[in-house]
Amino acid sequence: MAFYVDIRRCIGCRSCEVACERVHGGRGHVQVHFVGDSASVPLFCHHCEEASCATACSFGALFKEGERTAFDVEKCTGCGLCSLACPFGVVWTDKIAHKCDLCDGRPEPTCVATCPADALSTDFDLLARRARSRAARAAAQGGRR
Amino acid sequence: MIRVDPSLCIGCLSCSNVCPSQNILRTETVEERRIRWKRCREECDLCVELCPARALTLVPIDESAPEPEVSFPLVGCRICGRRYAPEPMLRRVEAALPKSQSPEWVWDCPACRRRAEAERTTGEMVAARRRRRG
Ligand code: SF4
Ligand code: SF4
Ligand code: SF4
Ligand code: SF4
Repeated sequence: MAFYVDIRRCIGCRSCEVACERVHGGRGHVQVHFVGDSASVPLFCHHCEEASCATACSFGALFKEGERTAFDVEKCTGCGLCSLACPFGVVWTDKIAHKCDLCDGRPEPTCVATCPADALSTDFDLLARRARSRAARAAAQGGRR
Repeated sequence: MIRVDPSLCIGCLSCSNVCPSQNILRTETVEERRIRWKRCREECDLCVELCPARALTLVPIDESAPEPEVSFPLVGCRICGRRYAPEPMLRRVEAALPKSQSPEWVWDCPACRRRAEAERTTGEMVAARRRRRG
């Protein structure tokens, strides 16, 4: 399972950030970024197919497990190589790595369950449907989006 | 005690993180990272085992040997200039990643990578809003 962001819906409230921190002992794995004064976007691990973080880790603490890039805290030495390898800057280290575990053991990713604007979803089709209806609406209004 | 091969050490601080007796000291300024191995007397080789660069060995204690110390200047980010990592760590990561990915991002600090990603993902949307506002 992965999850997806509909950036048009993100209102920059940082609820996902706080929710992730709450369930991970104060160290969250999402960071909401603001671009200019009109856009916000939550940044988190993409669970890359070819995960650079896992390639860089010498101890197998990061590894692919199905779609997920999983993390085994017992194996981590906090060397920080994963943080330097991730192209998106979304794995942090301070004596230990902190990375999205897709809320392993919970029924749903906490950030997805929390987002009040419905910007996050585990359902790619839902987002695709929304994008199509937006496009249809725009076409009906004379091509303006 | 611990012997260090400074030509192998990449300055990652694994050893210092895993040492249960705080025998491996680190100091970091904005410019450099410094690591010092105290004369360790423990029956333990965790740091030796968990050094990703295999830079450490366990040797008999020698009171006259100075405590080993290494220091690394931190490399400045290509974008913002902030110093963020020892060069050997960056070189190791760059070498580990597939060439096909041309991993130049290694030379940008993680904060600038996030900023770039935020701009990339919102770019189209922001441009559309601007057009709409005319
Ligand atoms: S931490 Fe970075 S490299 Fe690793 S899977 Fe997530 S996005 Fe990809
Ligand atoms: S910090 Fe931990 S997870 Fe990251 S590369 Fe080092 S050992 Fe692996
Ligand atoms: S899925 Fe869970 S761990 Fe991953 S970013 Fe969301 S709340 Fe954090
Ligand atoms: S773990 Fe090895 S490479 Fe990393 S700082 Fe210690 S001696 Fe150097």
